[in-house]
Amino acid sequence: MGRKQKETKKPVKFLNKRSSVKNEPSQPFKQRKMKLVLVGTPNVGKSVLFNLLTGSYVTVSNYPGTTVEVTRGTAKYNQQTYEVIDTPGMYSLLPITEEERVTRTLLLQEKPDVVIHVVDAKNIERMLPLTLQLLEAGLPVILDVNMMDEAEAIGRKIDLDKLSSILEIPVVGTAAALNRGIEQLKRAVMEYVKKRVA
Amino acid sequence: MSKSGLPDLDFNLQYDETIENALDGIEKLLKARYTFSKRMIALLLLQDDEEIIKMAKLRESNFPRIFAIIQNTRSKYKDPMRYVITLQCHQQAQDVLSTVMTDRKQSTHLQSVLDRITIQPITGIPILLIVLYFGLYKFVGEFGAGTLVDLIEGKLFETHINPWVNQVVENLIPWHSLQTLLAFDYGIITLGLRYAVAIILPIVGTFFLAFSLLEDSGYLPRLALLVDRLFKKIGLNGRAVIPMTLGFGCDTMATLVSRTLETNRERVIATLLLALAIPCSAQLGVILGLLSARPLALAVWAGFVILVFLLVGYLAAQVIPGEKPAFYMELPPLRLPRIANILEKTLSRMQWYFLEIIPFFILASVLIWAGKITGIFDAFIHTSAPLMAALGLPPQAAEVFLFGFFRRDYGAAGLYDLQKLGALSGVQIVVAAVTLTLFVPCIAQFAIMIKERGWKTALAIAGFIFPFAFLCGIVLNFILTLLGVTL
Repeated sequence: MGRKQKETKKPVKFLNKRSSVKNEPSQPFKQRKMKLVLVGTPNVGKSVLFNLLTGSYVTVSNYPGTTVEVTRGTAKYNQQTYEVIDTPGMYSLLPITEEERVTRTLLLQEKPDVVIHVVDAKNIERMLPLTLQLLEAGLPVILDVNMMDEAEAIGRKIDLDKLSSILEIPVVGTAAALNRGIEQLKRAVMEYVKKRVA
Repeated sequence: MSKSGLPDLDFNLQYDETIENALDGIEKLLKARYTFSKRMIALLLLQDDEEIIKMAKLRESNFPRIFAIIQNTRSKYKDPMRYVITLQCHQQAQDVLSTVMTDRKQSTHLQSVLDRITIQPITGIPILLIVLYFGLYKFVGEFGAGTLVDLIEGKLFETHINPWVNQVVENLIPWHSLQTLLAFDYGIITLGLRYAVAIILPIVGTFFLAFSLLEDSGYLPRLALLVDRLFKKIGLNGRAVIPMTLGFGCDTMATLVSRTLETNRERVIATLLLALAIPCSAQLGVILGLLSARPLALAVWAGFVILVFLLVGYLAAQVIPGEKPAFYMELPPLRLPRIANILEKTLSRMQWYFLEIIPFFILASVLIWAGKITGIFDAFIHTSAPLMAALGLPPQAAEVFLFGFFRRDYGAAGLYDLQKLGALSGVQIVVAAVTLTLFVPCIAQFAIMIKERGWKTALAIAGFIFPFAFLCGIVLNFILTLLGVTL
């Protein structure tokens, strides 16, 4: 818990090493470190979530683009160790800025076991397209609809169960700044991982 | 499991027939294995994604045929594929949302009023000035650089710690040269540590506190909207407000953050302006402290530096090639900042800053000590006397610029000492402050410039700034002397 390391962007180069993951079934499921990547537009609360999931601290602010580097930490739920990766903000899988490129390269290289797409409930209409793109890329996505409290405050209601059944992925509502919904999110991660391995 | 080794997901985006046919065609031709689904690779190829195209060129023997499909599809639309596909994707996202989401109309009145008055120039600029006056001038300048520095520097170091250190060192260490390494005028403890703890820390601390407050309130993106048009003239856009404002805290940190800008051109311009015309908080605090007793001098300094900032930015925008930036930024809601988060953030920034500067302060002390002992230092001051004369400054001012090499703020703090001795006139202080503000970035910032922009760009920037800063100083001195101004 709480271990954290920074890495700067690497030159763009990705090779397909999926086979290395596939060759590990002999290892019991509980011992392999699962990779959990947080993605989303800037300023949706990825870093707060990262802190809550790993119990460590990275600077959190109310302006877009604070996370310029990839941050890694570890977390353990239910005896399963996860490597949690916080990424620079991205708007689309088709990158414009260098930070977006960093994130996409990471998604291409790291073969995440779970990708949590964090969206701002108030601006979900601008962010859901990225969820669809992530799904289209075949990534194992969990949708975290964050800032539910603020969305409710402006009179917005979202039927998360229905959204989950349409997209056929787990959808969790959170208010990370208030530490709400984090347990459900952790549970969703655990169930998702179990289902995928089974 | 599907061929790509990933789970099958039933939800599928459906594009128009032309695109679907193209995707089908490309997918069938893709033979290599990718981490992303073949459909996504095909989509990215269709949207002209440079990286993916480069990769496919290397790995796909069928690339010419794939490329033919891309060309053919592209010719059927008058808009770029990227736009067409994004639009269709957004449309489907809306369709999904319309079935699961309802919005109750509810206008948060105060919020929208605040939004409007921070963004519109007529009200936005006065608000900005108020923020600058209270946040920067009153809090960082007067409280941080004034009250706190007086307290820690004047009361604690000058009357208690320094005399005590001097005495202990003198009693314990018999060698004079070693004594001066640790104590007295240029010692690690009496100079290096004193600057770091007594002058720089209170200033940087108060700045980071003010910055964290602004940051968490959501004011900065609104400031970005406000200055967008002005920034476009200097080859940047509103987004650059974040590195630029952060630069007033620490240019080194800001240079790192300039990575968030969209084009390489913007990053180069931002790096140049940060190195040239944005004084960091330590420097700013010392300069504000120096000039606050002379409001006119402060105005001349600020006006001149702003002029240089805009002029160099404008010229750089004309000279440096590359695409012009567009502006797009999420506008987060204005929030009441939470004290715990602000304190935590301020502390973590101060910690970063402190860990970064202490070694440089010690190194600077050691180098200055070595320079003194070997006589290089005196030789330098001696040889730069004509340059100082051109600036209308006494020869001792060379020391200040020499310090500026090691850290900009270090140099500014040296200026502070010089002024306390009463060695400088108003005009001289302004000229020195301007030259020092523009003068080369500190060692740490230069290191980050090399890391972020590469050797060539970093050296070109430094090579431009060095003579340019002195030229500006000489010109300003010439004008002020010619006009016979007393400040």
